[in-house]
Amino acid sequence: MLRFTLERLAGMVVTMALVSVMVFIIMEIPPGDYADRYAFRKFSGTGVSVTEADVAAIRSDLGLDKPMVLRYFDWIGGIVLRGDFGQAFAFETSVVKVIGDKAWLTLGILLTTLLLTYAISVPVGIYAAVKRGSAVDYGLTIFSYLGLALPNFLLALILLYFANKWFGADIGGLFSTRYQDAPWSLGKFWDLVKHLWLPAVVLAWSAVAYQIQTMRATMSDELNRLSVTAARARGVPEGKLLLKYPARLAINPIVSTIGFDVNRIFSELPIVAAVLGLTELGELLLKAYLDLDMYVAGAILLLLTFIIVFMNFVSDLLLAWLDPRIKLGA
Amino acid sequence: MLSVENLSISFHTDEGRITPVQGVSFSVEAGKTLGLVGESGSGKSISTKALMRLLPGNASLSPETRIAYRARDGKTVEIHKIKPGSSSLRHLRGGEIGMIFQEPMASFSPVYTVGNQMMEAIRLHRNCGKREARELAVEMLDKVGISNPADRVDQYPHEMSGGMRQRAMIALALSAGPALLIADEPTTALDVTIQAQVLDLMRGLQRDLGMAMIFITHDLGVIAQIAHEVAVMYLGTIVERGETRDVIRNPKHPYTQGLLKAIPSLETLHDRLSPVPGDIPSPTERPSGCPFHTRCPDFINGICDVNTPVETSPLPGRSVRCWLHNGADSGRSAA
Repeated sequence: MLRFTLERLAGMVVTMALVSVMVFIIMEIPPGDYADRYAFRKFSGTGVSVTEADVAAIRSDLGLDKPMVLRYFDWIGGIVLRGDFGQAFAFETSVVKVIGDKAWLTLGILLTTLLLTYAISVPVGIYAAVKRGSAVDYGLTIFSYLGLALPNFLLALILLYFANKWFGADIGGLFSTRYQDAPWSLGKFWDLVKHLWLPAVVLAWSAVAYQIQTMRATMSDELNRLSVTAARARGVPEGKLLLKYPARLAINPIVSTIGFDVNRIFSELPIVAAVLGLTELGELLLKAYLDLDMYVAGAILLLLTFIIVFMNFVSDLLLAWLDPRIKLGA
Repeated sequence: MLSVENLSISFHTDEGRITPVQGVSFSVEAGKTLGLVGESGSGKSISTKALMRLLPGNASLSPETRIAYRARDGKTVEIHKIKPGSSSLRHLRGGEIGMIFQEPMASFSPVYTVGNQMMEAIRLHRNCGKREARELAVEMLDKVGISNPADRVDQYPHEMSGGMRQRAMIALALSAGPALLIADEPTTALDVTIQAQVLDLMRGLQRDLGMAMIFITHDLGVIAQIAHEVAVMYLGTIVERGETRDVIRNPKHPYTQGLLKAIPSLETLHDRLSPVPGDIPSPTERPSGCPFHTRCPDFINGICDVNTPVETSPLPGRSVRCWLHNGADSGRSAA
């Protein structure tokens, strides 16, 4: 297992190095740079004429005049060695300060959503497979189609309405006004939890519907295996039998698509965040691109891809743990 | 120790109700081996699955079915009445009746070591700790002739060869110490040389452990080597039953005769093989009268395709379901 982990870890480092190069190139692709944008913002409408030399001076101030390769190594070196993601030009502070809280909140929404998805879909899928053909099974199938058909933002609005009506929940945001700018405390954390469930439910909704069907299908297959009958024939109690034999293998396709689920959550997050009034990274990413604020955009892209790559790494380890044939190379 | 009467199994399918096993009766004596022979689809596997209540959810036993099993503590268990999920069923499965299957690879879970699965069975049925269970597992692997059992116990099923896996499967079934072993074509998936070794092993183990055995196979040659008694099944009914040696020397039912003729032999190398003509009908289109009449060489028009033959006994210790033998014994089968 140690060797397998190290191999996958090395793979992850290589992937991240390649991704960082790609991210950097993507940041360079839009025409112009922040020096142009800055000069335009500062002097437009003031009647001052700006020369090429002025822009070049700004550019050299910002350090954008150095060759691309050099800037790449400065950038990545800062990240790896000092955790410094560079300057957020438009905010006139460091990227870490701009992104910091938002990154953690995005991560919080992501992990809550994932946990919620699997905590519901895996046991329910197992139950549906065991009770295959029963009324409960058909009910769950109908729910699944509903879940897949209902658009996220609509669900978000509906849930928000009822949450407000029944529980008096605040409309939008991840914090109550009282805690909005308060320092972190137990009270603030609890406040966050109370707000986090809504976006998590909205984002998990379709994934739960989808993964219930996946789990049900693979579990149904696994239940028909001779090894399950054989285990039953040696008197293993049914509950333990279901978890130890078929479920362990049936969960495989769900574990192996954790990365996809993360990706899907990231792409659905902006619209849900817009409806629920959350602050998350997607919105900032868009703004950073419009401003050509390249290091902010780069940091966000890098973070998001890192999370996806890391979750794939976790999924690989889980798969190897679930099925020892994987790490034995058989 | 085990007596089965009027075992009938029905399945509720989308196409309606089918009854692949009808009115099967047999018994197994302690320490003896009963061979169940028949083509695939004759219902021999599901009959034995019913003994452990391992049938799928859409299957049901008929109300006339009686399955009585005398456990080692002397109590009689009425298997047809036992509740699913009850502790007596869990005790029966594995602890009293063990089962091994045709596909040794598929009957092990690939994600646990052989030892893990053996120790699970041992700890379920014998009151013992982890270490003791492991020692017992190693001992059982040694008993079935697996070399280096202390290393093999930690191997995964895919790390073993086919023959070794079947030995391990036997060790697994026996490790919980059953009094009756059901072996469902345990040698069919193996090479002929390994087949002989495994048969030898099972015979030896049966003698040493004094357990009874139900041995399912489609191969009468295998039956001749291992079974004391044989029951020949065709389309869900037992057509002939008796002592193995007698049945093989002097088969009474045309189907048994056909099966014996179909065995390839070295002495008759230049003759053509003589298979039983025709195919086994599907259980949804069960022929009327005697189920075998569509393929029977001695078919009597107007009788065999109309009336179902009852079990008669043309010789002592033999029962046959065939109109050819009903006349000789008409006094007992007037019904």
